[in-house]
Amino acid sequence: MPWKDGYTITDEKTMDDQDITWPNNNQCAVMVVVDLSVPSGADGIGPKEVAHNRAEFGAEVGIGRVLDLLDRHNMRATFAVPAIIAGVYHDTVCEIIKRGHEIAAHGYCHEDVNTLDKQEEERRIQISTEVLADICGERPSGWFALPRQQDPHPSGSVSLNTVDLLIDAGYAYLGNSMADDIPHYWVTDFTSKRNILALPYYYHFDDLFFFDFPPLGTGSNCENPEALFQNWKQEFDAQYQRGRCFHMVVHPYLVGWSHRLVTLDDIFSHIQTVPLVWNPTGNECTQYWTDRYPSDRYLNLEESIWTDYPGSLS
Amino acid sequence: MLESRNDSFGDLLCDVKAEQKEYGTRYRRIKDFAYPDDVQMSVSFEIHFDAQLNRRVKNEPLMQMTRGEFGGRVGVWRLIETFAKHGVRATLFTPGRICELYPESLKEAVNKGFEIGNHMWEHRMPSEPDLERDHLKKATKAVEKLCGQRPVGSRSKHKIATLKHEGYLYASREDHPIDDFPYYTYDSEGNCILNFPFHYAGDDAIYYYLGFYGCDLAGNRPSDPSRVYDIWMNIFRQSYRMGRHMSICLHNFVSGHALRVAMLDKFLTELRKMPRVWFPTYREMAEYCLDRFPPH
Repeated sequence: MPWKDGYTITDEKTMDDQDITWPNNNQCAVMVVVDLSVPSGADGIGPKEVAHNRAEFGAEVGIGRVLDLLDRHNMRATFAVPAIIAGVYHDTVCEIIKRGHEIAAHGYCHEDVNTLDKQEEERRIQISTEVLADICGERPSGWFALPRQQDPHPSGSVSLNTVDLLIDAGYAYLGNSMADDIPHYWVTDFTSKRNILALPYYYHFDDLFFFDFPPLGTGSNCENPEALFQNWKQEFDAQYQRGRCFHMVVHPYLVGWSHRLVTLDDIFSHIQTVPLVWNPTGNECTQYWTDRYPSDRYLNLEESIWTDYPGSLS
Repeated sequence: MLESRNDSFGDLLCDVKAEQKEYGTRYRRIKDFAYPDDVQMSVSFEIHFDAQLNRRVKNEPLMQMTRGEFGGRVGVWRLIETFAKHGVRATLFTPGRICELYPESLKEAVNKGFEIGNHMWEHRMPSEPDLERDHLKKATKAVEKLCGQRPVGSRSKHKIATLKHEGYLYASREDHPIDDFPYYTYDSEGNCILNFPFHYAGDDAIYYYLGFYGCDLAGNRPSDPSRVYDIWMNIFRQSYRMGRHMSICLHNFVSGHALRVAMLDKFLTELRKMPRVWFPTYREMAEYCLDRFPPH
């Protein structure tokens, strides 16, 4: 693709539906992400954020319910865990692993990394990786950068250094990018084609924007389970027909309460109504995709054809 | 006369009526608009190829750019395919810079019979007159060179004189009067151009776009496609009943997501079931208006 620094992170065109194959002749991949971050500002999770009724509910009640629901439907998830959350809820993390799910990193304390300089960001990535390796018995393969509810944008935050630092730190995948709805290569340097695999994310499939959203005190009508279910269902149906990939993100402190569990149960049930659905963890999907569609053959970068002009944005 | 009241109300009324009158001189609705005999109503689809450009204009962070990148990389192809499947030719309003980012998709749109329209150079309108003219020139030239067709319509706030100078036949602006049909707009020098009305109820962005135009994220409640389908079907039914022109605006980075493409497919299927519906491109509708109901 005509590459353009600052505008593009990958190549010009996505893969056509018919060119995508999944293992064992499966029709569609379904990835479930359970985000264990709790509400915070841009500075991330600290004492006040954890000693809060929402965080407490998620940790004491919600997580158990989500795990049981996953078990009941024989589904596996990738748990995106900020290092500080793993440190506080050591036993929970071990239980998640025991139940067959993947633990991926989700920041040091789920801070907005745009507030950090490169050195500090690097230090925090290193510590987070060590902490999770220590608790889990193996280092995490994936790093997520999902949004906080009150961020200015619903996309999640990476700095201009994040992806490069993750490659340096040996991560196999970035857990969320909005540039596609299938795995795709996020390129940090055009000339060397330096890249990491990114998994798809779209905020319309994230319960963060449908439950307790907008946050109390900033608006009303903050309970929208039906809109979330319709988004999940309609996207899954469309992706299944195309043979592509469906992803969803839930938070135990949100979805673990009462009727919201039914919304989650219902989408899992709906997914089970069709055959040939592959349900990998983030790491399994990454291993498959990078093996089946390696970047040296499937990433089609083309020289930039951009010309700068006075009076035009560069 | 109330205006001659010797108090603040008289003054206020004078000021308001003067402004209203001036506003009125800038627009002229087409009197007694009529379709050809075999047409009950018309539907036009406009696609805005914003992709990352508007994100760049607002200086948004890197992850937001990927939100726009989806539009060029994935979304636009699906929209082209869906319209082509239904034999409906939409108008793709593209910023000139897209020629340097997603040229293949523009060529595909041309192959599938889409009209390519102007949507500024880099999705912003410079206030300096020289630069405003320069941006239109650049954008027009870039599209003409890549697509082999010179755009004749602009979805922008380019000045009428600037547009006419570059040979444009029509414009579309959301800040001009809202009406059931295109109408004529005039500047203070008497330059005239046909304008397509715009209403946000027919714009995918208001339903799906969190953080829409300066709106605090906290002020948004995202819709699912079923809700939007219901509303758009109601717009269509009412438009059919009234015999009016309906415009639907799609952004490929928004409506190009799989669940919304599926809804668009269903929507087009329903529209095409109705008899006597005309699906002109913006250019075709503009040419019809200019030919049958020219400005005086």
